[in-house]
Amino acid sequence: MSEPSFEDAQRELERIVERLERGDADLDEAIKLWERGEELYKLCVGRLDAAHGKIEELARRVESAQP
Amino acid sequence: MKVEALQYGDRKVYSVAAFNRGVADWLTRLPSVWVVGEITELRRHARWQSVFFTLKDPSDGACLGVTILRSRFDALRLDLADGDRVHVLGRPDLYEARGDFRLRALSIERWGLGDHLAALERLKRKLADEGLFAPERKRALPRLPRRVGLVTGNDAAAKRDVLTTIRSRFPAARVLVAETYVQGPLAAQAIVDALDELCSAPEVDVIVLARGGGSFEDLLPFSDERLVRAVASCSVPTVSAVGHEQDTPLCDLAADARASTPTAAGRLVVPDVTELQERLDRSRAGLERGARRALDRGRQRIEQLHEQLRRAPALMVERKRARLEHAAGRLRALSPRSTLERGYAIVRGEEGIVRTVSTVTAGDRLDVEVADGRFGARAE
Repeated sequence: MSEPSFEDAQRELERIVERLERGDADLDEAIKLWERGEELYKLCVGRLDAAHGKIEELARRVESAQP
Repeated sequence: MKVEALQYGDRKVYSVAAFNRGVADWLTRLPSVWVVGEITELRRHARWQSVFFTLKDPSDGACLGVTILRSRFDALRLDLADGDRVHVLGRPDLYEARGDFRLRALSIERWGLGDHLAALERLKRKLADEGLFAPERKRALPRLPRRVGLVTGNDAAAKRDVLTTIRSRFPAARVLVAETYVQGPLAAQAIVDALDELCSAPEVDVIVLARGGGSFEDLLPFSDERLVRAVASCSVPTVSAVGHEQDTPLCDLAADARASTPTAAGRLVVPDVTELQERLDRSRAGLERGARRALDRGRQRIEQLHEQLRRAPALMVERKRARLEHAAGRLRALSPRSTLERGYAIVRGEEGIVRTVSTVTAGDRLDVEVADGRFGARAE
């Protein structure tokens, strides 16, 4: 399975949080949801860090191209 | 009329009078026509039978003598003066006594600004009815033309204004100039030809028609029907910069854009390179800002979600625990203790709770439980 996009991951995370906050999941399921949520969080943060790195790199490149 | 010639050997020779009479006679076969021109050298004397003036072609100075009977001239009440533009209806005529060729006028009509304006107005209405000036026909000018075509006279000012403006705004611009007549009877066709030439030149993406201000007559070619149609049907967008603010020759209405001066035309056809650069820089800065903002928003949202996620399981366990406590409470409420508090007691024998007398024999040891404890007893 290919990795979900940032937006898809964020949406799934939102659904999980909503589900957990509603409190109607059974305990085992809740633990699994939490684990999945943490996984999605890491994935999203990774994506954001990558985007941040790219922005910095582009900004540097623009900076150095300035006459 | 018979013109007599004298015979000298094999040569036929006419007297001056006979020659003049012959030519004059032949001229009478020509029809009456209208001739347009400007009045100069108007000579009228009370003792002369005729009034004389010279009709001059304002475009090239060609001259034609005109005579008209004084009574007829006076009856017209035109109050003419040198420089007036007139239409003269007359017949070619030779003044035999002097061999002077001239136009014998039968009638004169003043052909002034008003008539010009009326004729122009008619043409304007006709072309407007055809939709030549319709706003939906106007094309957008290219933002960055590969080449700019410029139709202009060798009249330095207009040309220089356009070129200077273009060069200062966009130094890399390429301009193809077609010099042509911009006034006089040949101008309209010459400008049409110049337009065609520029249209078919490669890479010309916009054409400027420029001419400095001038008299009403000077600008007339720019209202010529041929030129107006050529501008309207030009295959590349056109900018008309003819005359000054207050003049509106018809080609202004047919062009895709109108500039009040040649300088303004220059500004219309090429962008200002400094301004362009600044706008690009601003866009680029905006690009970076936008990317960073999107990133920040994403990060905030994710952190918020993470916070919620972190709290959710504990919250959920808490909630489950609360529900459990609640159930326990209810469970406790349902236990017999409350019954004991109302004064009942549970009696246990050797075989458990005593529900009937048949299980008890006198002397049995019994255990009695009441609300706050238990004590022993013996059956009697």
